[in-house]
Amino acid sequence: MAVALFCVIACMHVLRGLAGVGLVAWIGATAVVADDWAQWRGPQRNGISAEKGWKDTWPAEGPKVAWKAQVGMGYSSFVVAQGRVFTMGHAAEKDSVFCLDAATGKELWRHSFPAELGDRYFDGGTTGTPTVAGDRLYVLNRWGDAFCLGASDGKVVWHRQVEKESGAKIPEWGFSGAPVVSEDRVWLNVGEAGLALDAKTGAVVWKTSTKSTGYSTPYFLGTGKDALMIVGSAEAYVAVRPGDGSEAWRVRWLTEYGVNAADPIIDGDRMFISSGYGKGGALFKLSGAEPEMLWRTKALRTQMNAAVLYQGHLYGVDGNTTDKASLKCVEFATGKEKWSQAGFGTGGVTLVDGRLVGLGGTGELVVAPATPEGFKPTARAQVIGGKTWTAPVFSGGQIYCRNSRGDVVVLDVR
Amino acid sequence: MNVIPVQNRRRFLRDATLLGGAFGVAPFLRAADPAKKYRTALIGCGWWGKNILKEAIASGSVKVVALCDVGSNIREVAAEQVTDLNGDQPKSYNDYREMLEKEKPEIVIIATPDHWHALQTIAAVKAGAHVFVEKPTGHTVNESRAMLHAARDSGRVVQVGLHRRIGPHHVSGMKFLKSGAVGDVGMVRIFAHGGGGREKPARNTDVPPGMDWDLWCGPAPKRPFNPKLHPGGWRQFLDYGNGQLGDWGVHWLDQVLLWSGEKYPRRVFSTAGRPVAGPAVNSATEQTTDAPDHQVAVYDFDGFTCVWEHRRFAENNAEKHGVGAYFYGTKGTLHIGWRDGWTFHPSDRNAPVVHEDSQLQEPDGHNLKLLWADFMASITEGKKAVAGIEIAHRSSVLPLLGMISWRTGRSLQWDGDREQIVGDPEASKLLSRPYRDGWVYPEV
Repeated sequence: MAVALFCVIACMHVLRGLAGVGLVAWIGATAVVADDWAQWRGPQRNGISAEKGWKDTWPAEGPKVAWKAQVGMGYSSFVVAQGRVFTMGHAAEKDSVFCLDAATGKELWRHSFPAELGDRYFDGGTTGTPTVAGDRLYVLNRWGDAFCLGASDGKVVWHRQVEKESGAKIPEWGFSGAPVVSEDRVWLNVGEAGLALDAKTGAVVWKTSTKSTGYSTPYFLGTGKDALMIVGSAEAYVAVRPGDGSEAWRVRWLTEYGVNAADPIIDGDRMFISSGYGKGGALFKLSGAEPEMLWRTKALRTQMNAAVLYQGHLYGVDGNTTDKASLKCVEFATGKEKWSQAGFGTGGVTLVDGRLVGLGGTGELVVAPATPEGFKPTARAQVIGGKTWTAPVFSGGQIYCRNSRGDVVVLDVR
Repeated sequence: MNVIPVQNRRRFLRDATLLGGAFGVAPFLRAADPAKKYRTALIGCGWWGKNILKEAIASGSVKVVALCDVGSNIREVAAEQVTDLNGDQPKSYNDYREMLEKEKPEIVIIATPDHWHALQTIAAVKAGAHVFVEKPTGHTVNESRAMLHAARDSGRVVQVGLHRRIGPHHVSGMKFLKSGAVGDVGMVRIFAHGGGGREKPARNTDVPPGMDWDLWCGPAPKRPFNPKLHPGGWRQFLDYGNGQLGDWGVHWLDQVLLWSGEKYPRRVFSTAGRPVAGPAVNSATEQTTDAPDHQVAVYDFDGFTCVWEHRRFAENNAEKHGVGAYFYGTKGTLHIGWRDGWTFHPSDRNAPVVHEDSQLQEPDGHNLKLLWADFMASITEGKKAVAGIEIAHRSSVLPLLGMISWRTGRSLQWDGDREQIVGDPEASKLLSRPYRDGWVYPEV
């Protein structure tokens, strides 16, 4: 089975506890630069960067602004590789994929295609994030347009309308998971438990039930014949075998409006999942035939961005866009709340070298040591206005922030 | 004179309340057992139904015994939320008839689409329950009349979700109007505008898992399932709702009745269409909505004219407000709005603008807590419900008449005492509509 040959970039840290397999390098891509953030949630798909040697304090006027840009309406995050940064946005009835110079913000290319704003129940615009793999960029928009583009020139290698080709029903807020890519497959959260395409052509390799789709990005676990892909589906978190899409297990996880958006967080044989709309989170043990629930909590209800796990504690945003969401620390082993920072809003956190880099819901950037002892920022600054539901991205000593209007600000904290 | 000045009267009331509190009894309140928890059921467990239920739970006066919805996932999510809120473990029902029979609830909250309000309200009051039902009362006029009669016959309280009747800035805005500060009002313009454009059809899909789509459609025509319809989109489908006029219009028409004390207009005329949204589509494979993308309805009252306008395109940025009512008086224009509170724009440009902020419950900007408290006071103390079926029926009839005028393309003369359209048998037929096989239109 093709899948046995390699693993997705994601799986490194999960393997130690689960299968005891050594690290598996990304095959098929050019060597990964240490500080690249080439995919959703970063090098290890956990919202964590290991970058060191950056400043976690800055002057009163805030960190140095490296550059600014405007990319159109949406919530798409950034991916950064080989000195290029990619993101998406919507303007004038088109979605656009942008490739900008990471150092200067200069537009290197842009690929635009017709799309709806889709502003029912929110501001609308793009919600998905591209994935870069070597010299290719993979994109899925809310309405099922999937592209493989040349990373250096934006030329279309292939385009598929996967909503039509798979027959999957577009969920209320559109498809939003980022593509996950291997040497010869692209996996999407399209359909009840994902969709696999041929990476070379975009042809459908396998699909799952078309009745519903959730919002998370497929998360890979294990290798070889034991490899599993977990997707947040409309009614459950479902694990399928990435080779053929056959189901291994599911955790029924109903939320209001079928929104399971936050990626699972895995540590050894433990899986934490969490959703908003009052649902909360739970920890499962995965070593048995079926996942076994260890605890449940209402303390951490991650509506969109998943939390980050660091030294036995989860750090994440609890609450909905319509609430006054809080930043919280919750103990992984027990689900106990350690601290709560009210008024953070619906933003997101990234963990960089033991420090939380958080962007609050209305554009305040904060840096604080990640510790269950409390939230004690070493730096904070209002770096952008508007709605900032997108977690900040950290790469090469720069912090990438955006708001829903598509204003981008990149901060230099080297 | 034996009149307490306002300030003193307030203090007196406050002191009296404190006194009552100190003795643990407010004598005029306690005909009923204060610790009583009413056996309560919710029919329609979506977004709005749960907003009402949350207020019911917060009031501490209910035990949630049943959740009824045609979607099993919706029921399951709602049940978990109820248990989180107060520990109640409600039973789950697909069919409201079975629920009423088995649970015998004392209070039923109805937050289903409009085409269901009449059958469910009538069944609930006949089963002995007090009812909190969403606005507008009926989907057609004679449904609303049947609800009114059933409520009267049962002697139960039926409160309708016209929370603007009790919202603080509406109440104070009405007081300002009645103080004469606006002068003689000769015209009211009520409106709800938004942005939008041409509408693309969406593909019909399989019914979501666990959903009884046939029962969702119930007495109304059965369309193929389409994500535009559910959840939440049915208001713009005329089989199930009455568009913006039935949704937003009823609130503002209700405000006009509240202000004027009028019971009904003499004539109604409406024109509307979909020039921007485009033609309505309902094929085997795809659908659009079919409610008008804009509408004007003129209500000719004794002594003033009321004009409704909505657009689902262009927004309304040439004016200061996007939603609400303008009361045009000899001394100026009073706008009563939503989140923007109320504002008086005097005719005299040198006179100060007067404004009061809204006081709404967010995130959804309503005053359900107050309306629920009023409902409970009606049940426990026998006070008249602020949005009771008698008045809410009259308000709900107005958008429905507007829609009939638009459909027939002519002005309707309305005999509000007899609740009949005068001299127009064709339009009169539209006061009712045929029900789907297996369902019986309620008798007035």
